[in-house]
Amino acid sequence: MKTFRDTGLLFQRYTLQMLRNPVWLFVGFSTPILYLALFTPMLKHIAPTLGVRGGGVLEIFLPGILSLLAFASGSSMGFSTIFELQAGVIERFRVTPASRFAILVGPILSGLMMMMVFDAVVVAIAVGLGFQVHWLGLAVLAVLLSLLASLMASFSTATALVTKDISSFAAIINGINLPILLLAGVLLPISFGPAWMRVVAHFNPLYYSVQASRSLAVGSFGSPAVWQGFAVLGPLCVLVVYWATRVFKKAVA
Amino acid sequence: MDAIISTTDLRKSFRSKRGPVEAVKGVSIEVGRGEIFGFLGPNGAGKTTTLRMLTTLLPIDSGTATVAGLDVARRPKQVRSRIGYVSQLGGADDLATGRENLILQGRLYGGDLPSVRLRAKLLMEILDLNEFADRRVKTYSGGQRRRLDVALGIVHEPEVLFLDEPSTGLDPQNRANLWDHVRSLRSRGTTIFLTTHYLEEADVLCDRLMIMDHGRIVAEGTPRDLKRQVSGDSVLLSLHEEAGTMARARQLISAEPYVREITIDGDQLRLYVEDGSAALPGLLRLLDGERIGLRSISLSEPTLDDVFLHQTGRSLRDAGTATTETAA
Repeated sequence: MKTFRDTGLLFQRYTLQMLRNPVWLFVGFSTPILYLALFTPMLKHIAPTLGVRGGGVLEIFLPGILSLLAFASGSSMGFSTIFELQAGVIERFRVTPASRFAILVGPILSGLMMMMVFDAVVVAIAVGLGFQVHWLGLAVLAVLLSLLASLMASFSTATALVTKDISSFAAIINGINLPILLLAGVLLPISFGPAWMRVVAHFNPLYYSVQASRSLAVGSFGSPAVWQGFAVLGPLCVLVVYWATRVFKKAVA
Repeated sequence: MDAIISTTDLRKSFRSKRGPVEAVKGVSIEVGRGEIFGFLGPNGAGKTTTLRMLTTLLPIDSGTATVAGLDVARRPKQVRSRIGYVSQLGGADDLATGRENLILQGRLYGGDLPSVRLRAKLLMEILDLNEFADRRVKTYSGGQRRRLDVALGIVHEPEVLFLDEPSTGLDPQNRANLWDHVRSLRSRGTTIFLTTHYLEEADVLCDRLMIMDHGRIVAEGTPRDLKRQVSGDSVLLSLHEEAGTMARARQLISAEPYVREITIDGDQLRLYVEDGSAALPGLLRLLDGERIGLRSISLSEPTLDDVFLHQTGRSLRDAGTATTETAA
C-alpha cells in the first residue's frame, strides 16, 4: 500500500519536472518525427526489395521506430539519475522512509507515460503516411514496449547509481547501445544481413522486441516472434528491476 | 545526560585504488537531547562520513550507533522517520516551487495532504519563505534555498536534525540568519547535529563540539572548555622581511621564560604565552634591542583554531582549503 502511494507521489513529481522542461519535451517529440520524415521517403524506393507494396514499408519501419523509442527513452533515464544524484535529490529521498522500489519505479512509470504519448503521435503521423492500424495489435505492442522501456530504464538508472558521474555513465551506455541497436534490425530487418549477424542477433533482447513488434503491428498474434518477445523481455525486465532496487537499497556513497 | 545520539567505536573504510582507506577510525559520541552539537574539522576529516552513517545513508563497518533510541544498523526505517537530514547539496527540486517541494517531502514521510499543507505553510512562515513560497526554487537566492533545505529537513518534525556543512557558500549575513533559525529550532526542542569547517560557526552556534581530524576525535567539550585547555594567549608577530630575520627572532624569543610555544605560521610568528598583556612590553624591548623590525603585533585570546593547532600540530586554515573570511 505504502509502496503504491510512494510510487504515485514520485510519479507525479517526475512528470511535473518533465512538463516544466520544454527543451526535453521538444527533443522527445522531434526525434521520432525526424525519423519518420527523413527516413521513410528513402524506404519507398527499396519497397520492392523488402517484398512489400509502397505504403507497406511502414509496417516494417514503424514497429522498428517504436522499439527504438522505447529502448532509447529507457536507456536515457540514467542521465536524469546522474543529475539528481549530483543535485542531492536522490539522497534527500533516500533519507526519508519512502519505499526504495518507489524511488526507482516512480520516474520509470512517468517515463513510460511520456513514451506512450510520443508513440501515439508517431502512429498518428504514420497513419497519415498510409500506415494501416491494427488496434488490438497496437495494444499488445504497447505492453511489450513498456516491458522493453522499463527494462532499459532500470538498467540505465542502476548503471548511473553505480558509476555516479556523467562521463563514465555516458561511455558505458553509448558503448552498449550502439551494437545492440545495430544488431537488432531496428531500421531494416536483420534478415537482410549475413548469417553470422542473424545468429548473433538471437542473443540480443532488442532483436526479440523488434521482431515481435513487426508481427504485432500487422496483427499476426500467432507468429512465434510474439510469444518469444514476451518470453525474453518479461523475465529479463523482472530481473533487472530487482537488481536496480537492490542497488538503490545499498549505499550510494 | 539523556543521550539522543550515541555511538561507540564507529568505523568506516572505503576501497580505493591504493587499497582500503579508513575514513572514520573509531568515533564515540554522546549527544544530549536538545543540544546543538557540532563536528568541527577540515575537509576530509571524516565528518560527513560519520554523519552519513548516522543517517542510514551509509552502512556501518563496525561499532554501534543509536539515534533516538533506535539502533541505526538494525532499524534504519524507524530511524529515518525520526530524523531529518540536510546534505551539503540540499537537493530541492529546482523546477518545483518551495511549497510543492515541502508538500511532496511531507507526504513521503507519510503525512496526509491537508496536514502537510498546513505544515508547509507554517514552515514557510517560520523560515521567512512566505514571499517565495510559490516561486520556483530555481529563482531562489543562496540564503533562501538554504532555508528551504532546512524546512525540507524538518517537515516531519524530527527529533534530531542533521545538518551537513549548513552554511557553506553563504555570505556572513545569511550565515548569521541561518544560525538564528537553527537556535530557534533548538528552542522548540529539536536536537541539532551539524558538521562544519568554519571556526566561527562551531564557536558561536554550538553548545558542545568535537574536533575531528583524520577520522579521529581529537578534542571534545564546550567551545569555552576547549579554548581553556589551550593555556594562555597567543601573540602574532609580523616581521619586516629580511633574510634570516624570522629564524633569528624565533631563536631569540623562544629563549624567553614566559614563552610556552612558538611556531612559524606562514610569514608570521605565533607564540603562546601565559599572559599576553604582560608579555608584550618585554617582547617589544627584546626585538628592538636586536634591531629586528616589527611590522605588526597582535594579541588574541585562544580560538578553536588554536585548539586544533594544539591537538594536531596544524592550523585548521592550512588543513582545510576553505575557512571563512570572517573566521576568528
